[in-house]
Amino acid sequence: MTTLVPVTYRGGVYRHDEIADLIDDLGGYVVQKQMMAQEVVLQSFVPRDDVALIRRIAKPLAGEVIEAPLVGTEIAVASPSLEIHHLPHTSCDIAEYLRRAGAKTNMVGLARGFGKRIANLSVEERDVINEHDLVVYVLGNFEECIKQKFPAIRRGVHVPIVVTGAPDRETLMRIIDPRVEGYVGNIGRIMHRFKRPEELAKLDELVDEVSRVVDARRNELAKDPLSIFPPRLMGIVEDQIQEVSLLTHPTPVTAQLTGLRVKLPYDQYASRIRALNVGDGVTIGDIADLLPSRMRNYILVRIKPCSETGVMV
Amino acid sequence: MPPLNYFEVECSDAVGGEAYRRVAADVLQDLDLLRVIDRLHIFIDPRVPIFVAVGLIRHIPREIRLRDFASVNVQENRVVIDIGDETYLAPLLQRLWARYGKERVEQPDRFTVVLPAEEVPGERIEDMVVADPGTSLYRDIVYAMQYIAPEGFKVRRQYVKGTRFYYVASEDTLPEDVVETLVAERFARLEGGG
Repeated sequence: MTTLVPVTYRGGVYRHDEIADLIDDLGGYVVQKQMMAQEVVLQSFVPRDDVALIRRIAKPLAGEVIEAPLVGTEIAVASPSLEIHHLPHTSCDIAEYLRRAGAKTNMVGLARGFGKRIANLSVEERDVINEHDLVVYVLGNFEECIKQKFPAIRRGVHVPIVVTGAPDRETLMRIIDPRVEGYVGNIGRIMHRFKRPEELAKLDELVDEVSRVVDARRNELAKDPLSIFPPRLMGIVEDQIQEVSLLTHPTPVTAQLTGLRVKLPYDQYASRIRALNVGDGVTIGDIADLLPSRMRNYILVRIKPCSETGVMV
Repeated sequence: MPPLNYFEVECSDAVGGEAYRRVAADVLQDLDLLRVIDRLHIFIDPRVPIFVAVGLIRHIPREIRLRDFASVNVQENRVVIDIGDETYLAPLLQRLWARYGKERVEQPDRFTVVLPAEEVPGERIEDMVVADPGTSLYRDIVYAMQYIAPEGFKVRRQYVKGTRFYYVASEDTLPEDVVETLVAERFARLEGGG
């Protein structure tokens, strides 16, 4: 079985469709295509052995293929609020940096995530966070405050958590109980853009930490594989539901580690998607649960593991 | 590092204190208050929790009059105002419109305003007060302090008068005596040494 690795192709618009076709022919998947003026970015999964081939073919087009460990993940960046104290720096810089590593990030601005005693998490916020593959909590400067408020804003969150804050990594590990999956210290409330070398190094450290957590999750999933690889299911939905191509979202169908988010109204489209054929008479409804998302009226597709369905597409 | 004559952040948490020092420096720079504030002392205790900022303003900017940015040329039947700096043109027009009526204030080009001479008989229009940066300065200082203080500290007390200002904020109610003692101590330190 070929192993698919997440990579980003970055190059000019000219003849980029050849690269997209090549990825398709090799058995890979393009999960996101971004066109910005004359530049195009393809977030994709390609067979490990063929990365060199793609690089060779991309070379005359001045395109580059870089490893992007977070392709195919949807990550929540939870900020204590969307006030001027936390935005645009820190939260946006972190979200943007994770995006460059291939992730689809959503900013979750908590309504009452600020403060020490008064911080809390609403049920809706908790459910929205739990729809993601991972959450990065962007916290502030004081050890005392993080220690007291963090249990309140993580309550009920069961996806892997990565915490950032001004105290160093060891302090964060000591004060956060029970433990979370990742810690990045020395990033607190910053009122300027991340631009100094040491600040950028911290963002690289964050990407490494998030990648480590995502890899651990991928390894865990490999032990009991999903009935279908999410990007493959994404292709099926995009091909067969024509309305997807009419959506103006940057990612009308977002790939996650264990499913998809389809940005179509649940009431009108869920039954149509459930009935789609994925091959050999198996429908999406057989191998996945379709749930109404807490984010607008989108559809959340949760793919069941192979052990449960007995089907591997 | 801002060119304040005195800038100190006092905090029980060393890492957090240093972070707030950077936050304060960035905010003052962004809001262009470095040349306005002379001395600033910030005290934060996250255990209480409380945030106190006391400071002195370097100088209060004086009122802007018409002669500061324009020259007035009185001719036979009209007064021509020649604008040198456009910064205060908008408030100037507002005032002229309010005083003489929009139909009497002509503006043939960006840098010229013409009034009929009979409207300004013997009046020294050059001395007209166009704007007072002092009032917006107080607002800017309070805004800067809100911006610097931790967001959760919603209970606050602010004071700006003359050249002195203070800003106290907390999550909990602020006992009057505590605030007064803390502020007085910091002011004494600010005005005494440094």
